[in-house]
Amino acid sequence: MKFKTDQLLKKLRISSFIYWPIFVFPLLWGGKLPDQIVGWADEIKIQIPKVWTDEAMEDWELPNSNPEFSAKPVSEEFYYNLPERVVYKTYPVYHPDHEPEGYWEWLHQQEAEIVLDQSTLVTEEDYIKAGELLFGYPIDTLGALINTQHVRNKDFYAKTNMPLTPEGIMPFAQWVVAGKGKVYLGNLSCAMCHTRVMDDGSLLKGAQGNWPGDKAFAFAMESDGASERGVQGITNILFGSPFAEGDPHGKLLASGKEAILAAYRAVPEGAFGRQGTSILFPPQAPNLIGVKDRKYLDHGGLGQHRNIEDMMRYIAMNQALDFLNFYGDYNSIGLTKERLNSGEPIFFPGTYDRHSDAQLYALAKYVYSLSPPINPNQASQLSEKGKIIFAEQGCVTCHTPPLFTNNKLTPADGFEIPEDHYDRYDIFDISVGTDHGYTMKTRRGTGYYKVPSLLGLWYRGPFLHDASLANLEDLFNPVRLEDDYVPTGFKPHDVKTKAVKGHEFGMELDAEDKKALIAYLKSL
Amino acid sequence: MNVNFLISLVFLIQFQAFCQKEKGSDPIVFEIKNAGITVEGTISDWEYEISFDPKRLDESSIKGVAYPVSMDTGIKLRDKHLQGRQYFHVDKFPEILITSKKITTKGKGSYMGVFDLTIKEVKKEIEIPFMLTSKGNTKKLIGDFTINRLDYGIGESSIVLGDEVKVKVNINF
Repeated sequence: MKFKTDQLLKKLRISSFIYWPIFVFPLLWGGKLPDQIVGWADEIKIQIPKVWTDEAMEDWELPNSNPEFSAKPVSEEFYYNLPERVVYKTYPVYHPDHEPEGYWEWLHQQEAEIVLDQSTLVTEEDYIKAGELLFGYPIDTLGALINTQHVRNKDFYAKTNMPLTPEGIMPFAQWVVAGKGKVYLGNLSCAMCHTRVMDDGSLLKGAQGNWPGDKAFAFAMESDGASERGVQGITNILFGSPFAEGDPHGKLLASGKEAILAAYRAVPEGAFGRQGTSILFPPQAPNLIGVKDRKYLDHGGLGQHRNIEDMMRYIAMNQALDFLNFYGDYNSIGLTKERLNSGEPIFFPGTYDRHSDAQLYALAKYVYSLSPPINPNQASQLSEKGKIIFAEQGCVTCHTPPLFTNNKLTPADGFEIPEDHYDRYDIFDISVGTDHGYTMKTRRGTGYYKVPSLLGLWYRGPFLHDASLANLEDLFNPVRLEDDYVPTGFKPHDVKTKAVKGHEFGMELDAEDKKALIAYLKSL
Repeated sequence: MNVNFLISLVFLIQFQAFCQKEKGSDPIVFEIKNAGITVEGTISDWEYEISFDPKRLDESSIKGVAYPVSMDTGIKLRDKHLQGRQYFHVDKFPEILITSKKITTKGKGSYMGVFDLTIKEVKKEIEIPFMLTSKGNTKKLIGDFTINRLDYGIGESSIVLGDEVKVKVNINF
């Protein structure tokens, strides 16, 4: 009886004893058994939406910039036939020099422990807490990017310049214990790309991450002695887009193993060549703090974000289900439509199981709950001057307060906006002239870039959608427009210099005004 | 964006009739509030046709056509955006038209005109007070008016960009 009434109170979100006389005693006095009351409470508890329906998936994403090759996801039937993910307890990964004595042996003595029972989730707080757990939970233990041998090798950390916490923890991967002696390195958690090790060693969850993922992957392939064919194969799986004009990824593959590895190494911390994007046009790792208020997701605005269901869809898709997408007749892991729908499981990282809808809901709620840390750059006379310059220079038109984005999509150079898009999407019909490669030549490209929010610039970087500029000062430096410029952030592997064009605002301000404007931007 | 159209027409004329069709010498100036700051822009390419007899105001007329493709706010990309379909849509609506319907005197070079202003095929009647003066062989018309840009489908409602646009016109001829 005690358990039932406690459970009932939780379901009714009643924690204080003062509500007992009001809600519970009368029901019990009226002869209602706790089981019945729990049943009623179940009916009024949080309703989890079903997100992967054929109807919803039809037009949730924007079309590809080459619309014939817009993504076609797996069907509702296929999706819900995938098994739901089981969440085991995870353990931190240490740099070998910092691993507590006996830790590795101790890990191997641990039993598997399932740490998430979604049937116990009742309140919004329950879901947020579960979401935080899921945010850090790896969906791959097959070594999709890196494996045990890599993280237990000191060279891995040195060659990738891997950020660590003061305790020597590498926070981008975890040990997953799936049974006694079954200790696997877990990859591909949300936290892998969306965790930032700050200068003081603290972790900022949800921020633009500084996981040097592409450098790490290059190390993994090199240290494993991957063949040229192997390197080409996995690179094609990740980024192949033969339908893109000029097929730049096909050309990269043809350039051979060393050039491909160099392309991985060229991607700086703060950017990441996620599947469907590119290491030739790598996207900045998105800042998730404040994502609740964004109307589009992905730098190209691929996913509409109209409600929590859209966020759940985005998480489900981006946790590797997009490997099963067809782009016309093209599938990046070489599937045919017959093989995909044969009923046989597909063993590719992230594609053989799925989050439950409740897990996705929890993840979305957690992401929505992320809040920025206290900004050390408080308003000053200088930043107030910068605030006026921000308005005078017209920055407010796109980076409109209080979100510091107008939440619109701007077309890239070379993209002609289809007439119907004006009614379907939020369009700001002018290109700011930044590099168009990501949105015109990748599987995720839509022809647009979303207008980014400037909130939290002080803890972010590198900047621009392709992470080509390391500092805000570089953004306002006209030297960046010259062909002999050496980008301070991402620089393609096959050039020594490259102009960083586009978004050419505030370049003619004098030094003092630039200083003031940057002071303001860092105060946001 | 900012659509400010200010037509300030100052006519100082002494009791002589005249008729003239010219390109505007001074640009049309417009002003709009953006994030609390007054942004000024100009339209430099425009023409006017004036047929004016202070003794026969009912037979007098003032017409103007402005080409928003010549808009300049000091930021080229912003100008391009203003010329795009969400603001002036200059490809489809290259002209802004203003035509007098009635002119009445307010005494000593001062007049009140009722005009039809057409932007993006939206025609609205507005009243514009103006001055028409003459000094030697030079005549001067100054006037200004304020419109609500949303009435003409110029941009959308915004929390930072004002709706009202002040337009100033200054003609020396």
